[in-house]
Amino acid sequence: MLNVLRRRSGGDVRAIAKTPWWETHLRFFFIAPSMVLLAVLAVFPAIMSWRMAFSRVTFKLGELAIEPIGFSNFTKAFSDNLIIGSTVRTAVWVLVVVSVEIVVGLFIAFLMSKLHSRARMVFTAALIIPLVLPPVSVGAGWLVMMDVNFGVLNYLLSLVGIEPQLWLADDRTALPSIMLIDIWQSSMFVFILMYAGILSLPQDPYEAAAIDGASPWQIFRDVTIPLLRPTFVVVLLLRTLDAARIADRMLAMTRGGPGSSTETVTLSIYKYAFIHFNFGYASALSVMFQVVLIILATFYIRRILRT
Amino acid sequence: MVGERSAPLVLSRHVLMLGVVLIVLAPVYWMLMIGLKTESEFSQIPPTIWPQEFTLEWFEAVVGKRGFGEQIMNSIIIAAIATSIAITVGSLAAYGLSRFQLPWGLNYHILFFILTVRMFPQTVTVVPLFIFFTQIGLIDTHLGMGLVHSMLELPLAVWMMLGFFRDIPRDLEEAAMVDGDHWLGAFRKVIIPLVRPGLAATSILILIASWNEFLFALILTRTEAQTLPIAVANQITQFDILYGRMMAASAISIVPVLIFTLLVQRNLIRGLTLGGVSGA
Repeated sequence: MLNVLRRRSGGDVRAIAKTPWWETHLRFFFIAPSMVLLAVLAVFPAIMSWRMAFSRVTFKLGELAIEPIGFSNFTKAFSDNLIIGSTVRTAVWVLVVVSVEIVVGLFIAFLMSKLHSRARMVFTAALIIPLVLPPVSVGAGWLVMMDVNFGVLNYLLSLVGIEPQLWLADDRTALPSIMLIDIWQSSMFVFILMYAGILSLPQDPYEAAAIDGASPWQIFRDVTIPLLRPTFVVVLLLRTLDAARIADRMLAMTRGGPGSSTETVTLSIYKYAFIHFNFGYASALSVMFQVVLIILATFYIRRILRT
Repeated sequence: MVGERSAPLVLSRHVLMLGVVLIVLAPVYWMLMIGLKTESEFSQIPPTIWPQEFTLEWFEAVVGKRGFGEQIMNSIIIAAIATSIAITVGSLAAYGLSRFQLPWGLNYHILFFILTVRMFPQTVTVVPLFIFFTQIGLIDTHLGMGLVHSMLELPLAVWMMLGFFRDIPRDLEEAAMVDGDHWLGAFRKVIIPLVRPGLAATSILILIASWNEFLFALILTRTEAQTLPIAVANQITQFDILYGRMMAASAISIVPVLIFTLLVQRNLIRGLTLGGVSGA
């Protein structure tokens, strides 16, 4: 009580008079370190990429030479069959992987929401596991399971009478094989988001639907799916952008091969930059890719922040 | 929701989910077991589900001389640097954004900007970073790699901590300040204890992300600061793949993550959803 009185009787005025300049601008100091970190390690490099995109870049023995050459890096990209191939392949990858993951994730989330609470906790804890494991290490594990001669997958196929597959060694099955691994890991991410979304749904529409005598399928289609729309947008945003940037699985397991059957956009850019040391061309590809991703992201994020 | 249905239906749902969980976990189990089998056993057909004869030879080869001891240490040091920077800097920003209104609608723009950075293609930052780091001597160092990982995980830290700070009613702080405490005292005595579980969960997620990261580590390290995922990948691309050794190395990179995940599973959902991007 005394404190309150002291503050009321002019304490505030005294406090303001004594407040040092940095404390009145305190709110800026909280965000400043983050902004500095992102500026130095993300924005500044990105600006540098834009500059290199319009240049011929040589970097030898720590000596950097940047020579402006206009748009030629960009025009080159549109007749580069390797990049066109990677772009199509990455688009297919995103479409297949994201749609299968949404179906699988939604199915598991929906099933989970119908279980007893004790069982939910145990099963959810178990399903999170694949998601957090290092992609390179699980890639190594799948590589052993996909071994042509003694891999467990070919053994399981032989049990149901399917002939052994070449998996990663055949240019027709290599990309689908890596898709399988990605679906195995990232469906659990979709599941977690969808499950959190389902648990936070309001109950009233369900009661109304029950009174109207709606069937379970009608409830799912006309109540659950529309109510889950905000969650769908978040899932699509995060999964589309992460899937589009995929490279680590391929880089660790196949290096883009056999041929270029598992080469994605990021992997191609990596190769141009760090195998051919063509930084200018790699930067032009990077910034074009960045523009595509930012357009995609902005489209989704605006929807998210609006809701 | 459960009680209103018939018992066989409820039971069948649980059995179905048990099947799903077993299928999902089977590959993890298989990977961990290969590292414990002898060479003749893991290459036999039909395969054994439980090892007939346990061996630690692969693990000894991996942690022993000319093994991955150094890479394991590098991964630990880099993850520690990345986590301490990202959690400190990120929590400050999240606290500031949750408590103060900045002019010109900056709160919204900053959060939008931080999300956008998370969506950058890796190559747009890693190519210039390779050049800078080579020029200023940060290439292949723990500090350089730790800084880069902290930048990569900062969006996660800010968004996740933002959710935790927003959950704390402002009345609690104001009460502490009315009692004569400086804002800093209120922060230390009221806020920090309340967000401690959030800080722990966020830190562990950053730790895992840094431990798992591959592409930046591949480009920005060579020998001195090479991390464990690079060492595992090098095993794969060798002409003569040693499956047992490779799987032991994988197991060593997997087990710490498993332990950490079980520690924070309750708060993990929030982290994975980027701290409630949906605004929930």
